[in-house]
Amino acid sequence: MTTIEATELVKAYGRHRALDGMTLHARTGVTGLLGPNGAGKTTLLRVLATVLPADSGQLRVLGQDPYDAVGRRSVRRRLGYLPQDAGFHRGFTAFEAVDYVAVLKEHTDTRARHEEVRRVLDLVALGDVATKRVRALSGGMRQRLGLAQALLGDPPLLVLDEPTVGLDPEQRMRFRDLVSEAGQGRTVILSTHQTEDVAAVCSDVVVVKEGRSVFTGTPTELASLATGRVWVDDAKDPRAVAGWRVGAGHYHHIGDPPAGAELVDPTIEDAYLLLLGPQAAQGRGEAA
Amino acid sequence: MTTTPWHLDGELAGRYAVGTVGPVLAASVEQHLVACVPCRSLLAPHVDTPRLDLVWAEVLEEVEAPRPTLLERLLGSIGMSDATARLVAATPSLRGAWVTGMSVVLALSLLAAYVADNGVAVFLALAPVLPALGVAAAYGPAADPAHEIVAATPYSAVRLLALRTAFVVATTLVPAAVAGLLLPGPAHLALAWLLPGLALTVGTVAVSTWIAPHQAAAALTVAWLAVSLRALAPRHDPLLVTTTPVVLGCTVALAAAAAVLLVQRRDIADVIRRTA
Repeated sequence: MTTIEATELVKAYGRHRALDGMTLHARTGVTGLLGPNGAGKTTLLRVLATVLPADSGQLRVLGQDPYDAVGRRSVRRRLGYLPQDAGFHRGFTAFEAVDYVAVLKEHTDTRARHEEVRRVLDLVALGDVATKRVRALSGGMRQRLGLAQALLGDPPLLVLDEPTVGLDPEQRMRFRDLVSEAGQGRTVILSTHQTEDVAAVCSDVVVVKEGRSVFTGTPTELASLATGRVWVDDAKDPRAVAGWRVGAGHYHHIGDPPAGAELVDPTIEDAYLLLLGPQAAQGRGEAA
Repeated sequence: MTTTPWHLDGELAGRYAVGTVGPVLAASVEQHLVACVPCRSLLAPHVDTPRLDLVWAEVLEEVEAPRPTLLERLLGSIGMSDATARLVAATPSLRGAWVTGMSVVLALSLLAAYVADNGVAVFLALAPVLPALGVAAAYGPAADPAHEIVAATPYSAVRLLALRTAFVVATTLVPAAVAGLLLPGPAHLALAWLLPGLALTVGTVAVSTWIAPHQAAAALTVAWLAVSLRALAPRHDPLLVTTTPVVLGCTVALAAAAAVLLVQRRDIADVIRRTA
């Protein structure tokens, strides 16, 4: 079933078009929005989460029209949303922070609400710190707290904006496990600029560039875009779109390979950099 | 001298589980169970798991669940549901810092009314602004770090804003009214700030459907102060801005217009303005 049908969405801030004809169709499973900073991912997720209206374009979420007050409320009842800068009152305990959101999500029966809060805190392994103040939680714990509130009521749609930002590698791995599990039987839309996240958890991927989608498919299909365009050499090849040093002294190149080049299997990152063009790819090459 | 190791048998475990052993023996059994894994295993089949789960749930509820604050208990006593009371109690502007700040402003403006020429005008200019600022501090991205999460919940934004506005106004009204009663001059001065206060508050809520509440309050406050502080000029009557029929009429009209706008734009208030 298609959970999200967004067609030709436009959202402008003054002269800047954050969304410039964005089209996205998402179904059950984890769909990753991959793109550089400023590509429009956060704006798109805000529109999908019904907190920001697009200027034009068609949008249906969970079969509802979010521009209609009744439809919007219906979507919000079945939505879990983790914004990019998810904050909580720092004086709240972890339990109180999630309980506050649970009240707003219409969990009115106190005992049942508290059980639900306990359930989601346990899901993200924060059950043991339920009585700790938000200000005393680590960044990773706060991020998981954000996910906990999104999971309240077991919603069929989860919208997660950069959920792995600021996490150390171990926390990121745990978070990916959580998101993968959350993606069983529901739709998860997550934005990231890390190709590893996409490879680890996403069943579908949309590459976003300058407010529009430039690729939609599976991670494997994305990687295959770079088939025959990735090679390694002992020295850096100036003809490559980008090249960077990898282990054992080799240079990894993307672009049009020279005759006789030693081709290697492409990764999602290779294809992503090729899609974004020489400027982004060059950035990767210089950073390496 | 050594003591013979003592353990529970099946019969004693069963009697202990149903509570038919005497208190002394029960104490011995409990002491022993703390250190003896095999005996705990012997007792395990007798444990009433559903009851144990229930007890554990009660313990967790007691330890983890938020304790109702004094305000929540007060609201509960006037019939408000505990869920709604939580939303009101989470209002930033109902916290100590706001109440302290508001009291200081009132005290200073009251002092000005006694010691300065036209000092009453200072009070009449500042008092109406307080509830509007309180509302601005009660809702929106600047006041609530969870605002974007809150905006994506099905709870009506206008209802939440109205709920918090009502309580902020109520809590501001009492100290401002008390301060008004202490003003030098005619008795009606105590009430002279109420209408502009109402207009500014409703206006802030209505304008919040276009811009963030703190921006709305700031804009209206500046506009109000620009008008009202003209009364500080020696040639003006300090009551000019609040008690002449024209000003009163305009204030009522503004409050009514803001209320109508708010009702018309309640759906628009349900989504956020740009927060970043």
